Amino acid sequence: MKPTVLILPGWQNSGPDHWQSRWEALHGYTRVQQHDWMLPLRGDWMTQLEEAVLAASGPVVLAAHSLGCVLTAAWASHSRNTHRVQGALLVAPGDPQRDELRAALKSWSPVPLQRLPFKSTLLGSHTDPYCSFARAQQFAHAWGSEFVDYGNRGHINAESGLGDWPEGLQLLNQFMKKENA
Amino acid sequence: MAKIFCVANQKGGVGKTTTTVNLAAGLAKVGQRVLMIDLDPQGNATMGSGVDKRKLELSVYDVLLESATITEARAQSPKLQDAGCSYDILGANRELAGAEVELVEVERREKRLKQAIAAVDAEYDFVLIDCPPSLSMLTLNGLCCAHGVIVPMQCEYFALEGLTDLVNTIKQVKANLNDDLQIIGLLRVMFDPRITLQQQVSDQLKAHFGDKVFDSVIPRNVRLAEAPSYGLPGVVFDPSSKGAQAFVSFAQEMVTRIQTL
Repeated sequence: MKPTVLILPGWQNSGPDHWQSRWEALHGYTRVQQHDWMLPLRGDWMTQLEEAVLAASGPVVLAAHSLGCVLTAAWASHSRNTHRVQGALLVAPGDPQRDELRAALKSWSPVPLQRLPFKSTLLGSHTDPYCSFARAQQFAHAWGSEFVDYGNRGHINAESGLGDWPEGLQLLNQFMKKENA
Repeated sequence: MAKIFCVANQKGGVGKTTTTVNLAAGLAKVGQRVLMIDLDPQGNATMGSGVDKRKLELSVYDVLLESATITEARAQSPKLQDAGCSYDILGANRELAGAEVELVEVERREKRLKQAIAAVDAEYDFVLIDCPPSLSMLTLNGLCCAHGVIVPMQCEYFALEGLTDLVNTIKQVKANLNDDLQIIGLLRVMFDPRITLQQQVSDQLKAHFGDKVFDSVIPRNVRLAEAPSYGLPGVVFDPSSKGAQAFVSFAQEMVTRIQTL
């Protein structure tokens, strides 16, 4: 059965030029909607993800960006339904423990550092304003993700000029076949 | 020692939150020390008590996760203090929904609230818990620590159907988790005696449940409906309204009724 791809945007959602929105429009992927994108509450967001995973008719692949990556780790550390996930692409994880983000994202600290129970690939950027490269590497190591050094691409979002981001899609597609997951 | 009551009904929109905040305010008005716990992630009882759910530093979620005590997480509303009807509020917002996922592998997870209340039990005469309409782990936490359940109901045809589900749930919780649990009483709310069907259902309730039906009846009242938009219980918003007066009578009836428990 073909997996359902769930798009997990970060804080303040992903706009129309973001690769997540382009993938949603081009490939019919499903965005996990949140009640409040501006005031993200971890427990609320986790519940929305849990419900989206349970609503999918078969296996699931996650395409997460920024806080969506932290959401993936938080959800996976508690949920009994992680076996439904075939793999996760984790792009530019945000770091809610940074001083300037801590107040706005207070329910997200500490970031869980348990190994993810499914395969994943994490992309980190040297010029990400929301997460240092070393911290992205630390997340990848803790979560058991394959790490990709994605150079100086900022937050790997709409401002990074990625267009439809075929390179990212290729990384996502590795999880679409069961034997690779 | 505080008497702990859940306000519950598995049917949605029957007036659970209105009952919880107005009973809390009514009890405070007649001199009782009250803690109101919002166990519904919608946070309506929190907002309806004058506490902004978007600005909660700590909430019942933190208490269930054992990252805060009730003493640390409870709040008070200045508006209620000014009105002389102050009660403590353990608030909720949508974060609380996460507890369903986060506690899934925790042992005795349905007893978390009971343990937390035990630490502040002596500070209150009443603890009132506003339960969500579904039978979730949150509702179970409420039912596990309660001495009884107050069931608000509208006197309409389908009301009795929802009641059967609730009675079965209470029986199961009593048998397996909380031997103290019982229905304290059915509270007729949004009552309009001019509607024949409501009068008939009310008579049926009394015939079937006898003295389990509270004497107090809460009338349909526009002031009760308006009050939440001002962040106030109706009892505080318009004390002279019929709805407010009915809730104060109900509070007095509760004070009398718990003496026989």
